[in-house]
Amino acid sequence: MASSLTVSNVDAGYGAVRVLEDVSLTVEAGETVALLGTNGNGKSTLMKSIMGIVRPSAGRITATIDGASHELVGRSTEEIVDLGIAFVPEGRRLFPKQTVTENLLLGAYRPKARSAIARNLDFCFETFPRLKERARQLAGSMSGGEQQMLALARALMSSPRVLLIDEPSVGLAPLLVSRTIDKIKELKEGFDLTVLMAEQNFTQAVRIADRGYVIVHGRIAFAGESAEALNNNELIREFYLGA
Amino acid sequence: MDGSLGLLLNAVVSGLLLGGFYAAVSIGVAISFGMLDIVNIAHPAFILLGSYVAYLANTLLGIDPLLTAVIALPAFYLLGMAVYQVYYLSFERRQDQSLRGLSFFFGLLFIAEVTLVLIFGVDYRLVQAPYIGPSLHLGWLELPLRLLVPFLVSMLMVVGLQLFLTRSFTGRAIEAVAQDPLALRLMAADPTRIKRVAFGLSFATAAIAGAILIIIQPVEPSIGREYIGRIFAICVLGGLGSFSGMVIAAVTLGVVESLTATFFGPSWAPAVSFGVLLVTLAVRPSGILGR
Ligand SMILES: Nc1ncnc2c1ncn2[C@@H]1O[C@H](COP(=O)(O)OP(=O)(O)O)[C@@H](O)[C@H]1O
Ligand SMILES: [Mg+2]
Repeated sequence: MASSLTVSNVDAGYGAVRVLEDVSLTVEAGETVALLGTNGNGKSTLMKSIMGIVRPSAGRITATIDGASHELVGRSTEEIVDLGIAFVPEGRRLFPKQTVTENLLLGAYRPKARSAIARNLDFCFETFPRLKERARQLAGSMSGGEQQMLALARALMSSPRVLLIDEPSVGLAPLLVSRTIDKIKELKEGFDLTVLMAEQNFTQAVRIADRGYVIVHGRIAFAGESAEALNNNELIREFYLGA
Repeated sequence: MDGSLGLLLNAVVSGLLLGGFYAAVSIGVAISFGMLDIVNIAHPAFILLGSYVAYLANTLLGIDPLLTAVIALPAFYLLGMAVYQVYYLSFERRQDQSLRGLSFFFGLLFIAEVTLVLIFGVDYRLVQAPYIGPSLHLGWLELPLRLLVPFLVSMLMVVGLQLFLTRSFTGRAIEAVAQDPLALRLMAADPTRIKRVAFGLSFATAAIAGAILIIIQPVEPSIGREYIGRIFAICVLGGLGSFSGMVIAAVTLGVVESLTATFFGPSWAPAVSFGVLLVTLAVRPSGILGR
């Protein structure tokens, strides 16, 4: 059944510092939506607002999970994850002293995910054979690319319906970036997910995105209804393509 | 068998048994300090509370101290959860835990000790049980049941907790909570609840450790202090967060102390055991099995 996300007129920030102003966006069921913007424009703040890590001072955030609608503002992060919304945060935030397998099993903490644990684990190991090879290695001792894979796999262990990913390409070598983006597409299809992905790497993000939003100084500056519309947009040419 | 070899082997074996006892008194701190980063130096005082509960039930009702410990487990668990809640509300929530948190547990240590002194006085107390006194003789080997039974109970407790921590969802969350509480939220777990459960468990071990303590030796309210240094040494030596390391460290310390006491006299034991600690940490700063 359908799962989607709607952000309506959200203001949010840190203490007295207002970062997001009147932000609205939607991610329809089954879509991959890119949230584009250079450093410091509020991509992470928006993701944190959706996840209940930053509390919006105005606006509504609604998630529809398998047909049931939930207001997210005011809920704790763990409640939001429990609804079926997984988040791969900036910096990945693995448990560095736990092994790969332990990290993955922690991903399945959500009661709804526990019955699917064997199937999800197989799927993760199939998609990321490297993780299977390193199953007993400590997460903190792995390379950046492997850590990003583990972070994605761990998020999927919670059997999510909606997946938020904050800058999957950060800190990865160019070849790994495109491979990671491909993997996200593969996971999205395998799990039938609805995806919102923040990226600075415009070219890579647009490869797999159905649509995208450009965020500038905490406001949605442009909503591109297709990858093509994004490619042809002036703002994007200015910011990303150096034209 | 040659006399001095028999002496050596008996010293090693009683060291192993002593190590089992050390593991029982250390496991609560291995959870609170090793996994939650909470410096609960009051733990030995609550072990003594466990001893006195066992003492009361034994003298007044004739109940076996180990049975008392099992019955008292839920109460200790709840007490631990309550202590954590107070600690959380007063310190941790305000990011104020390091030094003030330490003084909180110092305070708790003295309050618990003074309470025990007021109720029970400073005389040594002991318990009666069928396994206190007799020994098992296996050839040249002498196994005092007073040490063997606590050893087995302690190992049972360690293995049980280890299985819980590695096989259950709550247990795995306990092992991870100190590394990144926000990441744990992203796994749909509430870090405060997880810590409360873990702290409750660490207190529950004090019920068992207390019973074991009063089986092994008579107690008075302040002897817990003798163990504070040893307990933290064992946890650091084993490697914080590792039960298996903690057990290895406890047993090593037990054997080293027992050998030292046998061949050089008991007064050397603490110096030698802390020597072992320092040397190990110089070679392996994260402890025997620290990650
Ligand atoms: N924890 C914080 N406290 C105060 N200001 C912050 C914090 N995190 C981010 N900011 C500010 O919010 C703005 C947007 O940051 P962020 O959402 O991280 O942008 P992006 O993810 O697009 O790089 C920046 O100006 C940044 O300095
Ligand atoms: Mg960011």
